Formats: sequence, C-alpha cells, structure tokens
Amino acid sequence: MDFFPLWLSLKVSVAATILTLATGLPIAWVLARKRFTGRDVAEALVVLPLVLPPTVLGYYLLVLIGRQGVIGRVLDATGIELAFTWRAAVLAAWVGSSALFIKAAQAGFEAVDRRLEQAARTLGRSGWSVFWSITLPLASRAVMAGTVLAFCRALGDFGITLMVAGSIPGLTQTTPLAIYDLVQSNHMAEANALSLIAVATVALLLMGLGRLARLRF
Amino acid sequence: MRRVVFLALGLVLAAGSGARAQPVAPAITVYAASDLDMAFREIKPIFEKATGTRVTLVMGSTGNLAKQIEHGAPADVFFAANASFVDDLQGAVIPQTRALYAQGRIVLATPTKSTVVVRELADLLKPEVRRVAIANPAHAPYGRAAQEALESAGVWERLKPKLVYGENIRHTLQFVETGAVEAGIVALSVAGVPDVRYVPIDPKLHKPLNQVAAVVKRSARPELGVAFIQFLNGPEGRPIMKRYGFFLPGEF
Repeated sequence: MDFFPLWLSLKVSVAATILTLATGLPIAWVLARKRFTGRDVAEALVVLPLVLPPTVLGYYLLVLIGRQGVIGRVLDATGIELAFTWRAAVLAAWVGSSALFIKAAQAGFEAVDRRLEQAARTLGRSGWSVFWSITLPLASRAVMAGTVLAFCRALGDFGITLMVAGSIPGLTQTTPLAIYDLVQSNHMAEANALSLIAVATVALLLMGLGRLARLRF
Repeated sequence: MRRVVFLALGLVLAAGSGARAQPVAPAITVYAASDLDMAFREIKPIFEKATGTRVTLVMGSTGNLAKQIEHGAPADVFFAANASFVDDLQGAVIPQTRALYAQGRIVLATPTKSTVVVRELADLLKPEVRRVAIANPAHAPYGRAAQEALESAGVWERLKPKLVYGENIRHTLQFVETGAVEAGIVALSVAGVPDVRYVPIDPKLHKPLNQVAAVVKRSARPELGVAFIQFLNGPEGRPIMKRYGFFLPGEF
C-alpha cells in the first residue's frame, strides 16, 4: 500500500492551516472590529468559496494561476511553478477552508468584551499588545474551533485540488483523490483501508491537539 | 498554541526537503481517459519493464484532463476518449504525433443481482426499469454515444425522465454495479466486472467512438510519449487493449 497520499495530505493541510491562520486572523479581526464601506461585500466575498461548487471554483483558480492566467504568467516570469504542484494543493485547501476559520474567529472576536480591551489601552498597552494578550486569548476557543474546522476541510478537499493540482500519483494526489482513484478503478479493499487510516490518523491528531489546547489555555 | 505552530512548521519544512529526492530514471506522465483505466494499469508495468521508463498514470474525464493540459498540466502524452478533445487542444499538442489508438464500444449493462430482463434498448422502457444510467452526454464521449444510440433506437424522448447521468464512464458503471439503477449504458472496456452482465449495442446506432492520442507540446521528452503510443499500438499493447473490449486500428 502506498502511503504517499497520507503524507502529502498531512503536509498540505498543515501548510494550508498555517496560511489560513496568517491570513484569516487579520481578516476576522477587521470584520469583527471595524466599520467601513464595503464591509458587507467583504463578508460576502469571504463565504463565496463555500457557495460555489468546488470543481468550478477550482477551474476559476486554474484559469488564474495556469500558464495563460494573469497570476500564472507573473509566476512563470519569476520561475515559480504553482499549478499542478503540491503548492497548488495548499492554495486549493486554503481557498476551501478560509471561510470556515474566518467566520468562527470573527464570532469569537465579536464576543470579546470591548471594555476589557479599552481598560488595557488606558493602562498603556499598544493595540498590537492588546490583541495578543487580551483579545486573542479571550477568543481562543472560537479560534481553536475555527482552526480545527479549517484543518479538517483542508484534509478533505477534493474538487478544488483536483482541478488546480491534478491527481498526479506521487506528486499531487492527496488522500481524498487517491481514495477516489482507488474506488474508480475498483480497488475497494485498498480504498477502504486508506479511508480508515485517514480517519483514524485525523481522529488521533485532533485528540492530541485538544489535549494540548487544554494544557495551554 | 505557539508550540503547535512551530511543530507544524517543522513538519512542513521536513516534508519539503523529503520531496526533493527525485528518481533519475526517464519518466513520463500519461494523462488518460477513465475508460482506459483497467487496460492502462495492466500495460504500465509491461512498458516500464520493456523500456526502463517510469510511467505515472493520471486518469480522469477526458474533458477535465484536456482543460488541465490547456492550462499547462505536466502531461507528456494524452489519451482522449474522443478525437474532438485532442483536436480542440491544437496549440497544446504536437499535431504530427496525433494517432488513432482504438475505437470504443458501448454495451447495455445490468446488475447481476437484478431480476429485470433487459436485452435490448427498447427493454429500458419497461416499467420495472425505474432508472437508467448513462455518462453525461454534455461532456463525456461515451455518454454522447449512448444518447445517439437511444435516439437511433427511437426511445430517447420517452426514456429521458428515467435517466441519471454519471460524471464519467467509471462513475456510470458504479451506478449499475451497486444496483442503484436497473440498467446503464457503459463502455465495453470497463464492463467486465463481477457484479455486472452486459449485451453489446450495435455500433451502427452511434457515431464511431474514435479514440485519439497525442504528445503534449511542453513535454521535455516527446520521444518517450511517442514510444508509449507506439507500444500501445504495437504487438504488446494491442492484445491487452483487445482483451478490454477495444476495437483496434485496422480492424474496423
């Protein structure tokens, strides 16, 4: 049995989750705390990836980052290959899972009592310091929940990855794509085994993360 | 939290460095339509042994694969289920390498467990046949052939309310295999599975399913792609293709 897809999936989802945290935290905070024109539009844009069918979304992404795409050409000129590499799978997982993280984190930030933040400001803390020492810890449960959702969504992504990364065995074929391939070619026993291992691995991982989170917070 | 992030970062970095150790043997990536799934999995090790070239098989719907090749997918050679998809890729494939490699056939398939008797297309109209699966005629070549055959048999309009569409021919076969439908029209090349029995459909009822291959322009080793096409069309490939129900160039 080939374990490459499991390993690749883990790598892709961890990278995508880090990317989601790095981009999603500021977006969630801005949506929760700032009032600006176009905020409704921004909020709609965030959830848009959940509305579009994944393969369609993947096709649009491919048009953007493929050889003839606007982004693809720029990348090509700088010698970076994105489409049909494992990095494209990261991009796919990030696009698919960001909305789940942002909505959860946004709700968490909105629930934080602003008077606590203001009190910290009157005691001389900077905005940056208030975020890390007051807002984020108080919203940590929601942020953790969003992170877990995003990670699982990243692991399970099928449609977007299929279109932008292809299903190239040993290169971009993640676990969901490999399972689908096995089912398609009538290798049911192997498909079932891979599904079982994937589910068990994630269950163990999440249990471990849950323990870790309780220790820290 | 911070610990988790560092752990994750470490994992990613370790993964990145591991992936860089690539084998040095010549290698090609073959993009092939789903109806070739079983035949190509059998041909792959034989070709690898004969030529020392490592083969990566990427199977999928012809339409999807064609789109990916158009946008720069790392394919060396493309085996489409229909000539039109290769011809539409003009800028992305090498025209001189275009080669006919097979002609597909469609069959009327039923689940082995089913008690409903379906011997010809008109039988699909029986009330006991509640659902009939075909591949999506909008983009799947075998689906288009199924529609043409049903039209020629004069049952298409009446059968329409019963139809369910599979994404590709393997997906359509699954509807039949699982007994989710009472009958389906699938490729002969994939119909040879334990839970399915089938009867041939007269190829005169639909336009020929000419399957065409071509080497992709961006391939770094186009000669390997040509070699794969020749191997398939040669004394080693042909018997295998024939066994999976394809009609071969020069035989139709």
